[in-house]
Amino acid sequence: MKPKILYVDDEPINLMLFEANLDRKYEVLTAVNGKKGLEIVASHPDIKVVFSDMKMPYMNGIDFIKEATKILKGSLFYILTGFEITGEIQDSLDSGLIRKYYGKPFNLHEISNEIEAVLCEL
Amino acid sequence: MKEMRFEYKISLAYLLIGGLWILFSDQILFYFTADSTLLTTFQTYKGWFYVLSTALLFYIFLKKHLSKLRSTELELEKHKNHLEELVLDKTRSLDAAISKLSTINEELQEKSTLIEQQNSELQRALQELKETQGQLLHADKMASLGIMTAGIAHEINNPLNYISGGITGLESYLSKEELDNEKIILFIDSIKTGIIRVGSIVSGLNQMSRNVETYDEKCDIHSIIENCLLILNSQIKNRIEIVKNYSELAPVTNGNVGQLYQAFSNILLNACQAIENRGTLTISTELYENNILVKVTDSGCGIPEENLSKITDPFFTTKEPGMGTGLGLSIAYNLIQAHNGKLSFESEVNKGTIVTVQLPVIPQQL
Repeated sequence: MKPKILYVDDEPINLMLFEANLDRKYEVLTAVNGKKGLEIVASHPDIKVVFSDMKMPYMNGIDFIKEATKILKGSLFYILTGFEITGEIQDSLDSGLIRKYYGKPFNLHEISNEIEAVLCEL
Repeated sequence: MKEMRFEYKISLAYLLIGGLWILFSDQILFYFTADSTLLTTFQTYKGWFYVLSTALLFYIFLKKHLSKLRSTELELEKHKNHLEELVLDKTRSLDAAISKLSTINEELQEKSTLIEQQNSELQRALQELKETQGQLLHADKMASLGIMTAGIAHEINNPLNYISGGITGLESYLSKEELDNEKIILFIDSIKTGIIRVGSIVSGLNQMSRNVETYDEKCDIHSIIENCLLILNSQIKNRIEIVKNYSELAPVTNGNVGQLYQAFSNILLNACQAIENRGTLTISTELYENNILVKVTDSGCGIPEENLSKITDPFFTTKEPGMGTGLGLSIAYNLIQAHNGKLSFESEVNKGTIVTVQLPVIPQQL
């Protein structure tokens, strides 16, 4: 069975491309906002890796991840952002809430390699 | 009638009395007696009488005259004494007036120094006000620019992400099909290069306009300069040759990335604008003790000596109205100073300008 990864972003094209590029190796779940993301998390507690956009309606990426960690213990979290690093992202990096952050446009090969590497660790 | 002089009067009186005495004394004597012995005796008494009476008369006349003289003399003496007193008095009051004047003069001088001091204080305050005004204007500009670029960056980065994701998908699809077409690889590579370039420009703009207040970020001077050159590419392309002499170690300084971007982009933009047509811009970096020296040398129009001290004044510009605010180098100067650095200029008209930026680097680097 393919490992499950979740990507939350309010841009559907980003979700579609992410899924299309990575669905051969992983079961890619997507959500257009944090609320939907939390619903998916609730029904798939075996998600290994979570990627989230930063700026989204309802809740931002960090708020979503904070909520998601309550269910997904031991999963790894990443932020993908169209902005530069902010203080909030830096704090999350420092506290270990997120493992890394990627700026858009991100390199899907790089992300794929990262997932592969951390899945070995888990 | 004019009064006769005393010597004439006395001589005339003497002549008159003597003459009358000679003429009439004997006749008077003869009137009283005719006895010759008696006459002889009387003659003798008459002589004595004449001498005595003339002496008495002399005495009276002289005394009267001399007493007049003496009183005049006394009065003169008195006047003289009075004059002396008057002069002394006047001298004293003059001295008092002089000392009063000199006190007033001193007071005036004190006041004049005070006014001069206040004047220079006012001038300093005016300069500070100008600087603050410039900083405020700049901060305001940067704040709105920051919000705008961050927005634009976000909006560009997302579609850029579509292109990036799309090309990645296409690439892996084509590689599966084993379509080993050189041209397809070329097309894909050029799209990827485009993505990387747009991405770095957007990221550079974003870094340049970010609004962080602290000075604890690690600032890689070489990458800041590179990003500035990328953003200034429209000013440089096909016109200015860039020569780089970078130090081997990448210098890192503690500070504020956004502010250093602003400082270096202002310095580099000014250098580019100094070159009217074609020219060379040499950028060299050198580690020296605990500092990095960045030298930006342009082959441009140069700065006249009289302007060299003014170029970091806020609002000082030699550009046409509307072509520059005169804030660029003033801001750069303040930002470099805020990083405990130094900004200096050497220039020769029609030869070019050397701008030297000195910044402290993180010591473990050396």
